Amino acid sequence: MSAKERETANVGAGLWKGIGMWAWVLFRISGLVLVLYLFVHLWVISQGRVGGPESLDDLFEFFDKPLLVFLDLMLVAAVLYHALNGVRIVLMDLGIGIKHHKAVFWVCMLVAALALSAFALKASSFILG
Amino acid sequence: MAFGTETLDRSRGGMWPWLGQRVTAVLVIVTIMVHLVLTHYIAIGELSFDNIGARLAGGAVLVNDIVLLVAVVYHALNGLRMVVLDWGLASSGGRRVFDVVLWLVGILSIVYGIWALWVWVS
Repeated sequence: MSAKERETANVGAGLWKGIGMWAWVLFRISGLVLVLYLFVHLWVISQGRVGGPESLDDLFEFFDKPLLVFLDLMLVAAVLYHALNGVRIVLMDLGIGIKHHKAVFWVCMLVAALALSAFALKASSFILG
Repeated sequence: MAFGTETLDRSRGGMWPWLGQRVTAVLVIVTIMVHLVLTHYIAIGELSFDNIGARLAGGAVLVNDIVLLVAVVYHALNGLRMVVLDWGLASSGGRRVFDVVLWLVGILSIVYGIWALWVWVS
C-alpha cells in the first residue's frame, strides 16, 4: 500500500486525527447545547399560552439586548456547525465522497461559515447598536 | 476494525435509533432552515406575539414548525441517549428505564409544544 493509499484508507491518520477528533468533540458539545436550548425555547414560547400575549412580549423585550442577540447568533452558529457536520456524517454513511472525506469536511464548513456570515450581517445592527 | 462505524454507532445504540437519527436529521435540517430564515433573517427585530400569529396564520409555517418540533425532539433525545450510552450506562436494566424516561419526556414535550402553539391557531 502506497503512502497516499494509506492516507485515504486510514481516516484517523496524521493531521486529520486532530481535526477529526475536534470535529467530533464540537459535534457532541453543540448537540448537547442545542438539546438544552430546545427545552428553554419550548418554555419561552409556551409563555404565550401560559401567561398570555403580554408575558411573551415582556420576555421578547427582555431578550432585546446586544449580548443576548449575540448569544442568539452563537446558537445559529451551533445549529449550522451541527447541521453541516451532520451532512458530512450522513454522506459518509451513504458512502459518498469517502475518498475525499477531508475535502467534504472543509466544503461543509465553508457552507456553514457562509450561512453564518449572512445571519451575522443581519444581526450585526442589533448587536452593535 | 475496532473503531469502525459498526461498533461506534450501530450495534450499541441499536439499528432503529441509528436510522431514526438520520431520518430526523434530514427533516430537521430542512425545517430548521425555514424556521431560522423566517425568525432570524426575514423577521429579525420584529419578534412579538402578534408577529408570530401572523406568520403561523398561513398554515405552511405552522406545519413546518410542527414537523420541526416532532423531529427535533426525537433527534435531541436520541442524541442525548447516544452520548449517555457512550458514557457507559450499559446495564440492560438501567438502559430500559432510561429509554422509557426518554420516550415519556419526548412525548410530553411534543404535546406541550403543540399545546403552546395552539394559542395562535384557535
